[in-house]
Amino acid sequence: MMNDPLSVITLAPIAVGMALLILPKLTDSAEGLARASRAISMGVSLAMLAITTMVFLGEIGNIDWSDYGSGYSLTNDSFLLIPSIGVSWTVGIDALSFPMVWLTTLLIPISMLVEWDAKRGHLFHPLILIMEGALIGVFVSLDMFVFYVFWELTLVPMFFLIMVWGGEDRRYASLKFFIYTFTASVIMLIGILVMYLYTPDVASSGTITGHTFDLGVMVSSASGIPSEGLRHLVWIMLLIGFATKMPSVPVHTWLPDAHVQAPTAGSMLLAGVMLKMGAYGFLRIAVTALPESTIAFIPLLLFLGMVSLVYGAWVCMGQTNLKRMVAYSSVSHMGLIFLGIATMQPLGIAGALFMMFAHGIISPLLFAVAGAFKHHYHTLEIGSMRGIAHHSPWLAGHMMLGWMASLGLPLLAGFVAEVTILIAFWMTFGWLVLLPALTLIITAVYYLTSMQKTIFESDDPHHGILPESLHGEDPSDITWHENAGMLILGAFTVLFGILPFIFWDMMSDWSSGFMLEFLTQAMESEGVKP
Amino acid sequence: MGENKSELGLLVYIIPFLAIVPVMHSQGWDSSESAILIVAVPFVTFPVILVAGQIYNGHETWKDKLKEGGILALGALGTSLMAAIWLVYDYFDSLPDFADQNSIAHWLEWVSFDLLQSDYTLTSSKNILGVGVWVDSLTLMLLFVATFLCFLICWFSLGYMNTDPINDDRNHRFYGEFVLFALGMFGMVLADNFLWLFIFWEIMGLCSYLLIGFYYWKESAAYAAKKAFLTTRVGDVFLMVGLFILYDIYGSLEFSVIFHDPSLQGTVDSAQLFWALLMMFIGAVGKSAQFPLHVWLPDAMEGPTPVSALIHAATMVNAGLYLVARMVPFVDVGHHGVPGLEDLGLIVAYVGGITAFMAAAIAFVQNDIKKVLAYSTMSQLAYIFTGLGSALWFYNHDEHHAAVVVFGASMFHLFNHAMAKGMLFMASGSVIHEVHHAHDHLHHDAGHHDFDPQDMRNMGGLASKMPVTATAMMVGSMSIIGIPLIGGFWSKEGIIAETWLAALDHEPLMIGPAILVLLTAGMTGFYMSRMWFMTFAGEPKSEVIDHVHEETPWIKQPLILLTAISAVGGMAFALLGATDYLSSSYGGSGHLRLHESTLLDSIIYKLEYAFLPENQDLRIVGWTTIFLSFIVGPIFAARVHGGQLAKGESATRAVSWLVSLSGKFGRQDVTSLSESDLAEALENRLYFDELYEGVLAKTVIPFSAFSAWFDRTVIDGVIKQIESNSVSGSLQVRSLTTGSARDYILMTAVGMLSIIVLVWGISS
Repeated sequence: MMNDPLSVITLAPIAVGMALLILPKLTDSAEGLARASRAISMGVSLAMLAITTMVFLGEIGNIDWSDYGSGYSLTNDSFLLIPSIGVSWTVGIDALSFPMVWLTTLLIPISMLVEWDAKRGHLFHPLILIMEGALIGVFVSLDMFVFYVFWELTLVPMFFLIMVWGGEDRRYASLKFFIYTFTASVIMLIGILVMYLYTPDVASSGTITGHTFDLGVMVSSASGIPSEGLRHLVWIMLLIGFATKMPSVPVHTWLPDAHVQAPTAGSMLLAGVMLKMGAYGFLRIAVTALPESTIAFIPLLLFLGMVSLVYGAWVCMGQTNLKRMVAYSSVSHMGLIFLGIATMQPLGIAGALFMMFAHGIISPLLFAVAGAFKHHYHTLEIGSMRGIAHHSPWLAGHMMLGWMASLGLPLLAGFVAEVTILIAFWMTFGWLVLLPALTLIITAVYYLTSMQKTIFESDDPHHGILPESLHGEDPSDITWHENAGMLILGAFTVLFGILPFIFWDMMSDWSSGFMLEFLTQAMESEGVKP
Repeated sequence: MGENKSELGLLVYIIPFLAIVPVMHSQGWDSSESAILIVAVPFVTFPVILVAGQIYNGHETWKDKLKEGGILALGALGTSLMAAIWLVYDYFDSLPDFADQNSIAHWLEWVSFDLLQSDYTLTSSKNILGVGVWVDSLTLMLLFVATFLCFLICWFSLGYMNTDPINDDRNHRFYGEFVLFALGMFGMVLADNFLWLFIFWEIMGLCSYLLIGFYYWKESAAYAAKKAFLTTRVGDVFLMVGLFILYDIYGSLEFSVIFHDPSLQGTVDSAQLFWALLMMFIGAVGKSAQFPLHVWLPDAMEGPTPVSALIHAATMVNAGLYLVARMVPFVDVGHHGVPGLEDLGLIVAYVGGITAFMAAAIAFVQNDIKKVLAYSTMSQLAYIFTGLGSALWFYNHDEHHAAVVVFGASMFHLFNHAMAKGMLFMASGSVIHEVHHAHDHLHHDAGHHDFDPQDMRNMGGLASKMPVTATAMMVGSMSIIGIPLIGGFWSKEGIIAETWLAALDHEPLMIGPAILVLLTAGMTGFYMSRMWFMTFAGEPKSEVIDHVHEETPWIKQPLILLTAISAVGGMAFALLGATDYLSSSYGGSGHLRLHESTLLDSIIYKLEYAFLPENQDLRIVGWTTIFLSFIVGPIFAARVHGGQLAKGESATRAVSWLVSLSGKFGRQDVTSLSESDLAEALENRLYFDELYEGVLAKTVIPFSAFSAWFDRTVIDGVIKQIESNSVSGSLQVRSLTTGSARDYILMTAVGMLSIIVLVWGISS
């Protein structure tokens, strides 16, 4: 296990999760297993968190993150999985993927904790465990075939989470979620297959097709695709897959529906990690393999990012449903990632990476808060419950912290990403920075308005205004496990806001190395000045 | 009074806090290392107060012994105060000696990164955005003001907040946020770069928002909180953009790097720098509530009065001034500054002049005692902006002497105003609290809604009921008006005279701000006197007043202390050369000491110095200022609102002379004036709020609704169209969906297993 921790953290959750789902059905005597499955799931996920944390601390793998350039660590001795077509089991991490892996292992136990009392917990928690393995698999696999399998595998547990534990309109939302993102992924798959067909012949290793899915080989040979038009086409196909996942306007409309219907834990993971798969894949595959196309399409990136950011913020402001608003705010924030990449500055790219991470901590907090509203007030309509500072001071506090973090308050994680991206943005695009900067005001407007109409304004110091959905009963206060989950997320939001260098330094080093290795040459040949 | 005594005994609980600094000292730390305590102790304390308050709410010890966290807050702020005084003491007299080493401590390397240069290589070394401590005379002054007033106002709050039953079991929120605010203010003052100045600046903004909304259930408070945050946010975003430009120019945001040579050996493009500074100035305008981003400050009075005293009068609103003061090195052409930025000085001066005049005019008709003070704050801050604008202009024209004088005067006015206005707000809090208390006493539960304890039309004659408060308010008002020899007199004269100097001798355009601030001096005399007379002189206008007593604990001590400082502090510091000292970072001469042999000589020298005797025109300006503010304004106010106390009532000697004087100028009926259109416009704050709200309601709200509609109907509509076309296909799929999770999971498992088996089979 110590030799290959990445395979362990990928496969163990899937194996345990599957076992917990299937074994109780196969044998009659395993009822105890079903009862214990919640605790087992939590235990396994905590073990995974311990492993990734030890990797970070250098206890496993002796990685010195303080001096980290490029290249993969913790790679295994890759072995052929499907020799005939050149698929192998190869894993590894670098500073692009590791923060995402750590984030996943952090969010899984927290989302389990928040929904500790979920109905049918013997199915719920193992599903989240499977989700963990699939998500980690996306980030660690260095084989495109396996990458794609994990990419699609993440849809399965999420589909069931929405379908079974979702809200009133769950069937529509889950199908839309599945089909929408699946369709986009298939387009991406076509792009991947084109790249596959242009890998150099490695028949000696025993493949029938003569090609390999090895990430490194595919990426380095993509520039060998003969026509520039085809290269651009491949890049666009990859972009469609990744941009849908992020999601970017105009392919974002699956997100609000999925979020509103998903159970809290599902929303947390969806916003926290699944959206980052898009940005991760974009950098890992599209930018790395086809830097010249990336440079050529910078105006497109700029446009998509800007539209997502600005338009997303305006749409946010027009929402009346708390969860929908938070979902659209994700669209808006993900726009900043494209903007950061479009700056073509190490600072901007590092800012985009930090945005992925920071949003990965903040947005689960937002969804945990929104979920608690749904749970205890049975409605998400902004303005129908007011003065919750009276009924649930803790919830009001978490809401305040999360909302403030998301609108970019300094000393909370989101600000670091925002300010670094925008500094780089000014350097590259000058006064255009006013657009994203003024959008920060819009962001503040919708967050503050929604707080004004929930935390505040009950007109009576001793009673809140309660929604009709409670039928005159007093709402219950949030449970200890909801509170604990939100507290942990809030604490990390503050921690990474004050001490961002915990992950920032490796991201910054990686971005610099990445630029030099892949992008500066393309910039020079395309005549793009930094 | 017995209650009072026993409560002071609670101070024993803050002893552990106060021991921190001496222990540090004995362990060999020096004051610059210990400066981190100023920020760190509040940082540790505020979450403790918030969480403990939530857990021990209603617990006896928490409530009575720790005053719901108030004692902890007082202890933490006391520690900060001690550490600050230690720092001030160490550096007070040695400023020129460490002129080259203002950067005295390094706290944190926040983020470090590479930049790609135009030759496609990376910068040779990492760029670092970190934070440390910067010390010069400005820092020391503001640090003292902030720590001292935070401590005193926290002390005051122990009486004000904890004796109001509506605050029961909520005060921990007040104290926690109060301490967090203090952290932000201290950090902003100490930070050695513009980025962290901004970071702490935003923390203050957050606390301002939270504390304005302290009475969260009140619609007006929630609205005011949002308005304050968003209005300042508009400025903050521009400030951020200014910082980006600044970073682009200098490759750093640290004072030590930038101030070393702001012109980069003459290579800086003055147009670009102008835009950077202008953007930053917009931020300052928002934070310090200047025209046209001034609309939030009067509404911010919805917060508890200690919050108004601290955040919205004495400390946070000074942040904008501090930021503008930090712009001096950029324009100081005598010291590597960039020429051609004089427009910046003009803009700053005009914004200041317009705000000063407008706010003073609106203050004429306010009847809410806190609103008068709020507009007065706005107006006084605008004075300082005018002074800073003149200073920027002078620095940019290398008029060194005048620049130093007006810069020092502006900063000195900041000091005088903070002390006086902090006290005035506390005194108004004392009035409101006691009137409210008396009203509750009189009408046990009924009638809350038709009686406003902040409305001065319900007061009058309080001079005999509240001697300490009346005296404090009198001295504070005198300091704000600029009654000769008291408080603000020493700084205000300098600002007005130098602005006139700029207008008469150098730049005709400066005449606008110059006239406006001169008129404002007289108007200040009127509205401050009016407030005092309406509240304390004349006969009671409400039966409630007869039942007012000055009895709440913790309230008197800070008032007395600040009264003394306002009364004699201005003169004392002026005689010691405070204006020179405060501009010592930017060319002033440095030390705090008496320049003449006897006290009388010093006073005469300083009086002449303040009026610039070498220029006869300015002598006229000086005397006009005194005439307007000392004679015209107060007498007119006395004619309208002055009057003797009711028969049988007597005030203490400190204020009785003023009460009886106020009744000696006859009465003037201003009913027709107060019903004029102008008065109505002023009462409606010149309709700025309506204008802004109207524009936003007609643009932002419909556009956001349209965006939401567009997204739902058009973008998602296209997708739905595609879906409905394939609905026949999906219907067949649906027959498989049984709705049972087990079936799905089983199906998935079987499916995946079969795929894997298939793949293995093919490959082998």
